[in-house]
Amino acid sequence: MPRLAIEPWGNYSLALAASVECLKVIPWTHTCTTPEILRLGVAASPEFSCLSFKVTTGHFIKAAMEGVEYGVMVNSRGPCRLRYYRMLQQKLLAERGFNLFIFGLGYDGIKPPLIRHFDPKMKDFLDCCFRARLKVVTIDELEKAAWTRRAVEQRPGDTTRVMNRCLQALDQARTVPEIRAFRKTIPARFHAVAANPDRRPLKVALLGEATILRNSFLNHNIEELLGGLGAEVRNFFLLGDEMRNIFNVGLWSKNGRAAMRKLAKPYLGTSVGGHALTSVAHTIRCAQEGYDGVIHVAPAGCMPEVSIRPILRKISQDLDIPVFECSFDEHTSQVGMVTRLEAFVDVLAERRRKPGSQVI
Amino acid sequence: MFGRFKKSTARRSPAHHTIGIPRALDFYLYPALWETFLRELGMDVVVSSPTSRRTVEQAGLISESEHCLPVKLFDAHLAELAEHAGLIFVPRILSAFPGHIACPKLGALPDCARAQVPPAVQIISVDIDEARVPLAQSLAELGQLLNAAPAAIRQAAGCALSALQAARTEEAAPSKAGGLHFLIIGHPYNLNDAYLAGPVFDRLDRLGVRAERVSFADREVPPEPLKWDVCSLIYNRLRDLSSAEWDGVIHLSSFNCGCDSIAGTLYHDVLREKRLPCMTLVLDEHAGQAGVDTRLEAFVDSIREQHEHAQTRH
Repeated sequence: MPRLAIEPWGNYSLALAASVECLKVIPWTHTCTTPEILRLGVAASPEFSCLSFKVTTGHFIKAAMEGVEYGVMVNSRGPCRLRYYRMLQQKLLAERGFNLFIFGLGYDGIKPPLIRHFDPKMKDFLDCCFRARLKVVTIDELEKAAWTRRAVEQRPGDTTRVMNRCLQALDQARTVPEIRAFRKTIPARFHAVAANPDRRPLKVALLGEATILRNSFLNHNIEELLGGLGAEVRNFFLLGDEMRNIFNVGLWSKNGRAAMRKLAKPYLGTSVGGHALTSVAHTIRCAQEGYDGVIHVAPAGCMPEVSIRPILRKISQDLDIPVFECSFDEHTSQVGMVTRLEAFVDVLAERRRKPGSQVI
Repeated sequence: MFGRFKKSTARRSPAHHTIGIPRALDFYLYPALWETFLRELGMDVVVSSPTSRRTVEQAGLISESEHCLPVKLFDAHLAELAEHAGLIFVPRILSAFPGHIACPKLGALPDCARAQVPPAVQIISVDIDEARVPLAQSLAELGQLLNAAPAAIRQAAGCALSALQAARTEEAAPSKAGGLHFLIIGHPYNLNDAYLAGPVFDRLDRLGVRAERVSFADREVPPEPLKWDVCSLIYNRLRDLSSAEWDGVIHLSSFNCGCDSIAGTLYHDVLREKRLPCMTLVLDEHAGQAGVDTRLEAFVDSIREQHEHAQTRH
């Protein structure tokens, strides 16, 4: 059976791997990047390209080195560099003498080339898509449960252990009834983690560029670091929500495109590209919903995310919400991250203690 | 009811209002267009002073540290204008060529400008999307925004568009005859900013090189493989370049330019196929003149060496 390399999407890689079963291929993917993959990507990529490009390129090179025949990469039509990722990666692979062919996904007809090539049976395909969607939604639920519990856990690391066990169980669940049965056990599993009832965790939003938000190697485990510091994290990239937006199902929902555009309108009149508009809209919403702080995450030099930073600063001033802008590249160090996050969380805690503070 | 309608359409002529234009980005993307149009409408146009050492220093101090150099310079020019103009014009450029899209940073520019100027300063903007709307129509919208009379707008737009065409043709005029013949490529706001590109052209002139800027006058190019407007045009120009006519290409890029990080590799590929030497010079706010000079001299020397070598062999 041929193998198919899928770009890394954090924990969602499990669901994506399940989605290609019907194509009769063996999925090749990781939930997290390794230092070796990053090194390969950095060596091959143009100097000023963004970290997301370098890392996905590294993944495909590593896959090609292991003899994987096919890869799949999302297409984009926006003004961000993502539009050219696939073309450039294919070129870089060819220059190095690798034979990996990368399929694009999205914006290329009802039957994308990937599906046309492997031509699965319609029933199998729909079945697989349904199962994958269910897994994505389940992972959304797992993530949300972990963010809440980690902030109040008594012994550091307990929640992460439960999370990892859950992900393993989900990976092994093959049929729809199995996944549904597992989903029902999620609340109980996280409730079993010993919690400190007196703690009132800070609420911190994580938003910005999706690859960095989802890849715990690139963001140096920012969710766990913040959880360990007693902050309840809300990562605004959840693939379940995002999928609804891609297929325009959630047109009228709170996180739908129309709602985001309306919310951001006073500060930003265009979509810019990437997730820039949603970053602005979510920052405004976080201020309205009483979050303690916002962390804006982006790869260094990210075209859409960096261009809206002056706007985020203005929102921070106008709506009185601390925004911590954090850029990542291949030289960002774990220790530096820890120090900066500690300082930020200290500032947020101090704001709560301040007399007359509106934040409760 | 009619009274209200009448009141809302009553025109206040824009004449004698002062409007500022930052000498950065869109000023170079559409040379002469904005000043001519606004001046023809009877406004007093103030353009920020040309980029200088002080502008660059100011840019480093006030602008977002991860912006590319041109956007940093824009912020410095904007800050200078905000001190003495109550009204500043910053267009939202979504597409500068038919069939193409612009760099995403230009789309967010008016909103960023609003976030950065004091509340008393008003930013006036109009969407420029040449992929969908002809430029003349966008100018008409701008005129309406400024409450100008339709006839005045038509007349001003006509003048402005011909001034734009003349400026674009003039920019690419070949310099005086010399030995080696170089094409200088890059974004118009890098190539035409005298502070950034001037020293490069001066040095090439002294080295006896005939340096020519890439022409933006003819903009009918296919949006393949690059969709970004300026990059696509440069790519297509390079593809049509004849190795017999040119001796080398210099790519003037700016630090942290997202478009050039992708397009630069494609430019080099095309030129490698044509066996035309190419050098990329990355400009930033710390660039030392001596470093640029040395690299230019080395590049010119190596090409001369190559030519002599080829001649002795024949």
